[in-house]
Amino acid sequence: MAAAYRTHVSIIADILATAKQYSYEGYDKGASVTHFIHKANVPHQRLGSMVSLLTQSGLLYEESAKYKISEKGIEFLRAYNEFKGFAEGFGLKV
Amino acid sequence: MNLLGLGISAFIGRFAYSGYSTIASPNLLRLTFAFVFIAAGFAFLVAGLFAGDYARAIETVGLAAQAIGYFFIAFSHSLKSFDAPAPRNFALLVPMAVTPFLIPGNSIEHLVRSISFILLVYVSIETMASYMQTRKSSTLMIGSGLGLLALAELMAWYSFVYPGSLFYYVAIAIKVTGFGLLFVPFSKFGLASGLGGRLNSKIGSGL
Repeated sequence: MAAAYRTHVSIIADILATAKQYSYEGYDKGASVTHFIHKANVPHQRLGSMVSLLTQSGLLYEESAKYKISEKGIEFLRAYNEFKGFAEGFGLKV
Repeated sequence: MNLLGLGISAFIGRFAYSGYSTIASPNLLRLTFAFVFIAAGFAFLVAGLFAGDYARAIETVGLAAQAIGYFFIAFSHSLKSFDAPAPRNFALLVPMAVTPFLIPGNSIEHLVRSISFILLVYVSIETMASYMQTRKSSTLMIGSGLGLLALAELMAWYSFVYPGSLFYYVAIAIKVTGFGLLFVPFSKFGLASGLGGRLNSKIGSGL
């Protein structure tokens, strides 16, 4: 059976979800790069460019070498989950 | 009935566009194109009713626009399919793909309807295959809706073979029922939500 692949947008959503987990749920110091690698399952080579892209976009912000999700990032995650259901209705991935 | 189809497809297209503008997913962009073309097709079909001598030509343009819309959905599914590794005996499928199929008559309208039928059957099968994996009721609804659209194209083709019969009206009724099934899952997604502006134009990789 073929392995399930992730789209670019779903990888971004995984990174944001990890940052959210370490921003609010008792771990309010933010997510480190190691957290992103392990929890969001993103290779280190790819992570740097993606995190800087998300930081520039205002979806993440850096604080003491750790990353937290912004309000804009939370809004993105909410929209992602909503439209994920819409696309899955057509048998597609977001 | 065509106006109803126009409204439903325009609404789905608007929803897909709001999704694309928010999270910049390429698949949502393709769905936007698909439903914009389908809605435009319905608009042409309505316009054809008032076009007099040009009615047939305008109706054919509308059907062609809808076929383009179905192509965009099928294209999204084909990308998903080709992401998986090709089977070892993939080459055996090539002769089947290039085998010419018979088109009744030499009308462009027949050709367009045949293409729409093939695309819709493909999309319906792919969506049902996704339902078998996810077991989501919305996927089942949309897969059934797409299957009904394919059946409607077949019925419409029969209305050319047997002109003056009820096939045309049955086809329109099935088509609108199919679009109705596509619309039902929207009650879950929230009709008023997802209409925010694009958060970041850099996210997403285009077509």
